[in-house]
Amino acid sequence: MLKMSHLAKVYRTEVVETYALRDLSLNVREGEFVAVTGPSGSGKTTFLNVTGLLETPSSGQYLLDGEDVSQLGDDARSRIRNEKIGFIFQAFNLIPDLNVFDNIDVPLRYRRMAGSERKKRIGEALERVGLSARARHYPAELSGGQQQRVAIARALAGSPRLLLADEPTGNLDTQMARGVMELLEGIHRDGATIVMVTHDPELAVRAQRNVHIIDGQVVDLSEEPRFHGVHPAHAQTAA
Amino acid sequence: MFRYYVWLALRSLRRNPVLTALMIAAIGLGIGASMTMLTLFRAMSGDPIPQKSSQLFVPQIDNWGPDFREKSNEPPQPMLSYTDVEALMRAHAAPRQAAMYATGFVITPSDPQQQPFQAEARATYSDFFEMFEVPFKYGSPWGAQGDESHSDVVVIGKQLNDKLFGGASSIGKTVNLNNHDYRIVGVLDDWSPHPRTYDVIDDSFGDAEQVFVPLTVAIDRHMDIWGNNNCSAAYEPGWEGHLHSECVWLQFWAELPDAAQVQRYRSMLDSYASEQQHNGRFHWAPLTRLSSAREWMVLQHVVPDESRILLMVSFSFLFVCLVNAVGLMLAKFMGRSAETGVRRALGANRRAVFMQCMVETGVIGLAGGLLGLALTGLGLIGVRAVLAKDMSSLTHLDLVDVVLAVLLAVVAAVLAGIYPTWRATQVQPAWQLKAN
Amino acid sequence: MHIRPILSAMRRNKVGAFLIALQMALTLAILCNSLFIIEQRLTLMARASGVDEDNVFVLTNQWVGTPDDLNARIATDLAGIRSLPGVVDAYPSNSYPLRGGGWSDGVMLADHQVHPNTHTTLYFADEHALNTLGVKLLAGRNFSPDEIGSRAENSLGHPPVVIVTKALADKMFPDGSALGKTIYVEDGPTTITGIVEKLQTPWVSNSFGEKFPENSMLEPYHYMVSGYHYVVRAQPGQLDAVMKQVQKKLLEINRARVMVKVMTYAEVRAEAYRNYRGLAIILGVVCTSLLAVTAFGIVGLTSFWVTQRRRQIGVRRALGATRRAILFYFQTENVIIAAAGAAVGVALAVGLNLWMVTSFEMLRIGPAYVLVGAVAVMLLGQLAVLWPALRAASIPPALATRAA
Repeated sequence: MLKMSHLAKVYRTEVVETYALRDLSLNVREGEFVAVTGPSGSGKTTFLNVTGLLETPSSGQYLLDGEDVSQLGDDARSRIRNEKIGFIFQAFNLIPDLNVFDNIDVPLRYRRMAGSERKKRIGEALERVGLSARARHYPAELSGGQQQRVAIARALAGSPRLLLADEPTGNLDTQMARGVMELLEGIHRDGATIVMVTHDPELAVRAQRNVHIIDGQVVDLSEEPRFHGVHPAHAQTAA
Repeated sequence: MFRYYVWLALRSLRRNPVLTALMIAAIGLGIGASMTMLTLFRAMSGDPIPQKSSQLFVPQIDNWGPDFREKSNEPPQPMLSYTDVEALMRAHAAPRQAAMYATGFVITPSDPQQQPFQAEARATYSDFFEMFEVPFKYGSPWGAQGDESHSDVVVIGKQLNDKLFGGASSIGKTVNLNNHDYRIVGVLDDWSPHPRTYDVIDDSFGDAEQVFVPLTVAIDRHMDIWGNNNCSAAYEPGWEGHLHSECVWLQFWAELPDAAQVQRYRSMLDSYASEQQHNGRFHWAPLTRLSSAREWMVLQHVVPDESRILLMVSFSFLFVCLVNAVGLMLAKFMGRSAETGVRRALGANRRAVFMQCMVETGVIGLAGGLLGLALTGLGLIGVRAVLAKDMSSLTHLDLVDVVLAVLLAVVAAVLAGIYPTWRATQVQPAWQLKAN
Repeated sequence: MHIRPILSAMRRNKVGAFLIALQMALTLAILCNSLFIIEQRLTLMARASGVDEDNVFVLTNQWVGTPDDLNARIATDLAGIRSLPGVVDAYPSNSYPLRGGGWSDGVMLADHQVHPNTHTTLYFADEHALNTLGVKLLAGRNFSPDEIGSRAENSLGHPPVVIVTKALADKMFPDGSALGKTIYVEDGPTTITGIVEKLQTPWVSNSFGEKFPENSMLEPYHYMVSGYHYVVRAQPGQLDAVMKQVQKKLLEINRARVMVKVMTYAEVRAEAYRNYRGLAIILGVVCTSLLAVTAFGIVGLTSFWVTQRRRQIGVRRALGATRRAILFYFQTENVIIAAAGAAVGVALAVGLNLWMVTSFEMLRIGPAYVLVGAVAVMLLGQLAVLWPALRAASIPPALATRAA
């Protein structure tokens, strides 16, 4: 599904070169639920940007769904983001001027989907996240948990091959966070591939596999997920 | 997709009503001011007979000599002496030609209930009506026969016919001009060319006369010269003396359908002037001009400075309004760069962002154009109220103006939107809607 | 107040600052030149015609046909008009000041001079003209009744004596010795017998007349044509009544005439300067709109910047910036932008004026004008920025601690 080999991302300013990613290799299989953890400044954000095709890697290869996407142009990347990737943001990133229905509509619009098809998909996505009754509400009228469910519905509506989540519960209280997490697990059980970046060990343990990024490199800890889940500090020192 | 962008644009405009109102008002005011002045300017510099004017020419012959010239190569006077007009009419070197001068009468209606009144008139030749495509309601011009036989005939305008004969055909009836009866041979339909192409020296923007008489008769009857009359030297007193003086007071038009005829006419003018030099009338090398109608309008400075100044100021104002709109749009588009980032992340490519912004500016332009159109209407009413009749009688909005106003507004808005839109397309796809 | 942080903030918002500066520069350039044009036209309009305008009216008379007893008809008319109560005096003429149309000729010091010394308008007048117009005789004498001749149509005049305006006299004889001198006009010599203070030409609002606005000459003639004007002066306060009575009287004397136009001098003046006044009004409206657009543009953009920087301003407030400091920040920012705009605007204003000087008949703009304009535009900026700056100053420091 997702195959990254020797990815590097360098940010150049006039004075310094900063390696945000160096020699990062990672495989995610179809249907996997991977949690990516790491301390701040470790390159998590850059990893997300590259994975979500928001940025291109400086070197290395990135195969998404068998297609080499490492050096695609802006338009092609826009198209792949639109068709193959569903984004779930920490800050939900719902467009405040649009109601729930129209928010979920945004990626479908850019896919130039027929009106009836869009309507059907939005209805299904809303049902999936349990917010069918709220289609005409505006984001400001919803709780944080509901907003994140809408964001998930928006990510799901396009039937993406890959769901990319960035601290999906970071802005939510425990109660709401649990609901959102259960929803993600449900989606995973239905067969979706999910890559989730988080610094919350409790979330990480609920993924099938944990990947740790330190200094722009991956430390794959899939063998001992539970251990790291319980003692993240140990895991870091062990790595 | 276009409908989606329009829908988004309307939502976005509603979201920020103050900013939207400022942008629309700026564009509307700019368009209103510039279209008002453009309408005025277009009317003044207009060509009422575009299909014909390229074939109409004005000859000039310098019968005063170099002492009177302001520029050494320009004939000093726009008009001709009777001597030269007579010669040109006799030469008959164009398929059609007409000399003319402005005169006027007191008309005494046959109905004793009606008061005598004054009317402006034009003494000319029969060709005048065909040359300037004057529409006839009843009858026809008096014809070459009328010119040659010095007949007491007259062509009257629609208004005068309405006043004297209640609008019915008055062909064959007579009208009393300065105590002489003239037989009516033609009645014009509504006709008021702006500018008054055939005479931009006496009154460029006045109404057309209501009375037309053969020039040959006007000369016989010593009809007063109501237009400009300039003399360079003393002459024998009296009508005959003035007639054979070097005073210039007649205008002359020739219809020349093609370049070859224009060329021939030029040589005719030159050889005539040389002949005048030979026989001792001109003590200088021949200096003649033949100007097309359009050249003539420019040469005679038909459009007054006021109109040009207003046009310039109003378009500068429009420019300021656009700079203003650029600033506001930039603020607006940059203000939602976070949203743009999310849209980009969700799969909008640069073109989609570009289109969204452009459609929004187009909608602003359209709204500004409609406001501008309303303001243009108001502006024209205002112009009519404060400017002299000769300048403002021609200020009305036609379909061309309406289309022009809206088009100008949309183009202006889109031009103003280019930079802000470009900036919006440069927004990177982002993970975060940054707060504040 | 520290300028540096303002400058560095502006550097991050170059385009916005540039657009405001550009707008202010253009506003300044257009404003200066428009006001200059308005002021020029108003000055021209304020010139006195020399006529007692409150009490004088003109009547354009057109006889039916071409009567051959014009001399007698004119004499009867004048006697009739002058006999009316409330009438001070009256005379017939070919034209009158501000009319828009009339006669002009070159004036020379020697016979058969190729180029005339100057130009003048020719007013045909009789011994009642000075009293009717209310012009002041500065030197010499008025015409005497026996000097008034009948001038035939289409003939050149040979007036034995003429009365000229001081402007014309001084132009011909700068040393002030005009009275009694011989000058050449129309077809020959004539003698200046009187000098009047002031009398404008018919062409006060077009380029033809601008060259000699007060060069007028009265020639002692009654003009024998079927169309001419009666100029009539009424007793103070009786103009309206006299206008009616004169028309009635003339119809009593002879009905075979058309009184084409009867106008008070106020109407004559309004007609003469209509386009000047119109231009001034339209430019005034455009200038007002311009100021409004620029001011609201600044309000709009600054408000937007304030909104964008809300959090930053909150943090500043939390760190101890006073309301006054925030207010000052935005005001100083505007002063810097406006000063840059004004500097460019001054250059633009002068450039625009120079271009208009070459394209239209226009004077050079004075430096005072441009400087006053620059100050005005900067004040406008300050005024426009006040509201958004006050809004910024009212942002509470607590905003800094509030979650985003």
